[in-house]
Amino acid sequence: MIAIRDLSVTYRTAARSVPAVRGVSLEVPRGKVTAVVGESGGGKSTLVYGILRLLPPGTEMSGSIDYDGMELTRASEERMREFRWKKAALVTQGAMNSLTPVLTVGYQVAEVLRVRLGMPGGEARERALELLAMTNLPPGYAGKYPHELSGGEKQRAVISMAVACSPEFLIADEPTSALDVITQAEVIATLVRMVREKGMGLLLVTHDLPLALSISDEMAVMHEGRLVEKGTPERITAFPSHAHTRTLLSAFGVTARSGQ
Amino acid sequence: MRSYWTKRVLGAAAVLLLVIAANFFLFRIMPGDVVSTIVDPRFSPEAKERMREVFGLDLPLGRQFAVYVRRMLTFDFGISFLSQRPVWDELKSRVPNTVALLGSALVLSSALGTWLGVKAARKRGGFTEKVVLLSGSVSFSFPSFFVQLVLLLLLAYTFPLFPLRGSVSIPLPQTGTARALDYLWHLLLPAGSLVLLGFGSWAIYVRNLMVKTLGEDFILMARAKGLPEGRVLWNHAFRSALPPVLTLFLLALPGIVSGAVLTETVFSLHGVGKYLLDSIMGHDYPAAGAAFYILGLLTIASNLAADAAYALADPRIRVGGRVQS
Amino acid sequence: MRKPPRWSFMAFLLILAVAAAGPPMLPGDPGRTMAKPFAPPAWSGGDAPPPFSGAITPASREITIDWKWDAPENLTLKGQLAFDEDSPVRLVWTTAEGGSFTLASFRGGSLWEVDLDARDMAFKTGLGIPPFASATSLLFPGRGVQTLSLEGPAPSGGSLDLALPGGRWGLLGTDQRGRDVLSLFIVGVRVSLLVGISATLLASLLGLSIGLTSGYLGGAADALIMRAVDVLLSIPVLPILMVFVGIWGKGLWQLVMILGLFSWMGTARTVRSLALSLRESCYVENLRSLGAGPWYILYRHLLPEAMPVVLAAVSLGVPGAILAEAGLSFLGLSDPRVISWGRMLHEAHGFGAFTAGAWWLIIPPGLGISLICLVFLDMGRAIEEMADPRLKGGGGR
Ligand SMILES: Nc1ncnc2c1ncn2[C@@H]1O[C@H](COP(=O)(O)OP(=O)(O)OP(=O)(O)O)[C@@H](O)[C@H]1O
Ligand SMILES: [Mg+2]
Repeated sequence: MIAIRDLSVTYRTAARSVPAVRGVSLEVPRGKVTAVVGESGGGKSTLVYGILRLLPPGTEMSGSIDYDGMELTRASEERMREFRWKKAALVTQGAMNSLTPVLTVGYQVAEVLRVRLGMPGGEARERALELLAMTNLPPGYAGKYPHELSGGEKQRAVISMAVACSPEFLIADEPTSALDVITQAEVIATLVRMVREKGMGLLLVTHDLPLALSISDEMAVMHEGRLVEKGTPERITAFPSHAHTRTLLSAFGVTARSGQ
Repeated sequence: MRSYWTKRVLGAAAVLLLVIAANFFLFRIMPGDVVSTIVDPRFSPEAKERMREVFGLDLPLGRQFAVYVRRMLTFDFGISFLSQRPVWDELKSRVPNTVALLGSALVLSSALGTWLGVKAARKRGGFTEKVVLLSGSVSFSFPSFFVQLVLLLLLAYTFPLFPLRGSVSIPLPQTGTARALDYLWHLLLPAGSLVLLGFGSWAIYVRNLMVKTLGEDFILMARAKGLPEGRVLWNHAFRSALPPVLTLFLLALPGIVSGAVLTETVFSLHGVGKYLLDSIMGHDYPAAGAAFYILGLLTIASNLAADAAYALADPRIRVGGRVQS
Repeated sequence: MRKPPRWSFMAFLLILAVAAAGPPMLPGDPGRTMAKPFAPPAWSGGDAPPPFSGAITPASREITIDWKWDAPENLTLKGQLAFDEDSPVRLVWTTAEGGSFTLASFRGGSLWEVDLDARDMAFKTGLGIPPFASATSLLFPGRGVQTLSLEGPAPSGGSLDLALPGGRWGLLGTDQRGRDVLSLFIVGVRVSLLVGISATLLASLLGLSIGLTSGYLGGAADALIMRAVDVLLSIPVLPILMVFVGIWGKGLWQLVMILGLFSWMGTARTVRSLALSLRESCYVENLRSLGAGPWYILYRHLLPEAMPVVLAAVSLGVPGAILAEAGLSFLGLSDPRVISWGRMLHEAHGFGAFTAGAWWLIIPPGLGISLICLVFLDMGRAIEEMADPRLKGGGGR
């Protein structure tokens, strides 16, 4: 389990400081889908990158992130590198742009296997093909460059890469925001299948409230850097406690009983 | 891919034709009689006859140009006024020296510039970045030959570590190794000074490109994958920035060729640029035209080489597909 | 808060002042020989004599020279003396060792004109030494007090000036012809400024008109012009310039023309893209729908928009022209009668500054060129920032 307690993140730029996350507490258990929804600029991505400690240098972080007894906010860079991808892998928001453009898809999947798991080259290449096949990408795709793939294919390639080291957690930051509805469904289905098959924990960040309601076991609503609502989808649709949640629900046409 | 190459090769051919045409017409718009500027008045009647034939001086202008193009493409440049020997015989021994100077300067300055540029991009505001920015602005405003003269004064006169002039020692050393070392010793200061003058703008350019690339999503992704920093920096960021870096070759090349002409003069090297200058000074028009043509040819060839490297580095060109811009 | 003006604008004014007022303020022709060739600067120390001068006048008929060095390079004596009395006069040199020589004599008369140079044949025969011997080593046989005195009746007016060129000279020493490097340096500012600015103005004018035409016309003409720009940018300029100078001649104005002709490409490109974006803007669309003609739009709207860009391009282009002029002059492809910084470097390189270790021939012109270039670069950046405030605040991009 990843347990976030009272996490605050403040960006420091030359001109000013931006408090993007303020006192967030959240648990992400294994084997379950935890969704975070919220409006644009609410601090969702910041929260996610904070867990992996991938925020720009100079950014301030306080509070604690506990991963099975390891304190991630204070771990050495060396231990963080171990943690990344082997324990928690990331599927980012920039679906179009998260693959290195000059390296083949197969190479990029195999690279993770070689570098992170120490797999010999030939074996890594074969395993990369299997991983691509798991997300329904035929073997021919291994030799292709990212610009030859469609958006959905790219995102599926990223998911193959994300599950390469069999991580305990998948962190997906709006994995489908750049895709059309049909492809979205396809990618989400792939993600959920991976989670269910391997018992991984999924932290899904999304704008898409109906999606979060339909697939998550536990969800949270984020607003201006704070978690204003936490609970099961059923509880949240039935009894939204925060005004912002109600606004969100009605914006998506989900009717809620107002008040308690 | 095919169309990329057709375009590049056609472009190179067009530039080549333009260089030849410039050569052809420039030496014909000179004040005075065309014949007397191409045929040395002191030549023997037989030599004059041969030159007339070489340049097709009795033909109409269009035919003359056709003959001229053929002569240029076969390196038949006529006879030098100054030495009375075929120009190509004189140029032949100089081409390798110029290629060595240009090549070593380009390779070394790009390598050093790239390395420092990447280092500067990784540590913004660090010492390397300051060095890079300073050396870049120095190379923009200090005349190359001035810096070279100062180096010569310091390292060849005050502390005589390097030779004051020439491409080789006279007399030549006996053994092959000694000759090679002697050649390197003479090349070190000229090429080194070009590197010194050139690496700064490379480094700045590479730094700016790398700063941009390091902000891309796929770099964040590479870091999220827990890849070692060196691998992120070189295998992902630098590899992606490589195609635009290679276009810098194209941008920098004309300047480096110009720099080589000055460098050969400062260090009195036995090269094509010095030959060009000597021929212009001596009103030796066939020789000047030929030297100019060879310099143009070297530039065009390097341009094509850089285009080839670009195509290799950028899969969007190599394997076609959707190319933006 | 008011900011102080950029340093480069101040420096530019200073340079302009030097170029305008410097040369007329110089004492005499900068081409004169002032001291021995390759004399180091006076302040540089070393065991070389400073220049010496003295005069024989009605008031003082003797010059004493306390000489502590080897014999000087030369000795000159120039001027005229007037006499009331008509009797013979002589100029007598007495060496520290007691030797005595008559340098010149006058049979008598009212006005005596003297013009002696120790290197002249006549001077040497007068002393009774062979033409290739050194007269000064005869006159300065050892260290000590040598005297020059006028024997005969006292003159009533005029003066004779004795000059010994020093082995050290002035602020910046002398060149291979014994000329004062500081004077040459000051005179040289003019050429750099003149060629740099006028060539760039010419180039900008060309670039502006070609760029505007290309951007405004669009289509095939635009494509053709831009291809030409690409081609011109991909061939090395210096060899072309060399060939042109070789053919057209080395004069200053030829140089300006040639430089202008080969440096308009950058400006043309910038102006073209600006014109393109303006052409598409609704603002110009509106003007057109209001019935404004193309020339009106070009002249009243596109041109003023392009002006700051062109001004910045001028300032940023000047260093290139200055460097090209200096490069050509350094190669010897400039008028030998015109003193410029590049020419100074050419002569230093060609006439043995290196065997003399004469750094003072190389450092001043080189630094001068660099400084002017830095000034124009910085001014250009300042203008760019004024035109486009987004550029302010350092090289982050
Ligand atoms: N590198 C940064 N420097 C300064 N401020 C930043 C930086 N990155 C994000 N911010 C600010 O932090 C706040 C939260 O941004 P964040 O990217 O976490 O939002 P988000 O919820 O992911 O939004 P979206 O749904 O649009 O992706 C925003 O106000 C944003 O402007
Ligand atoms: Mg986000």
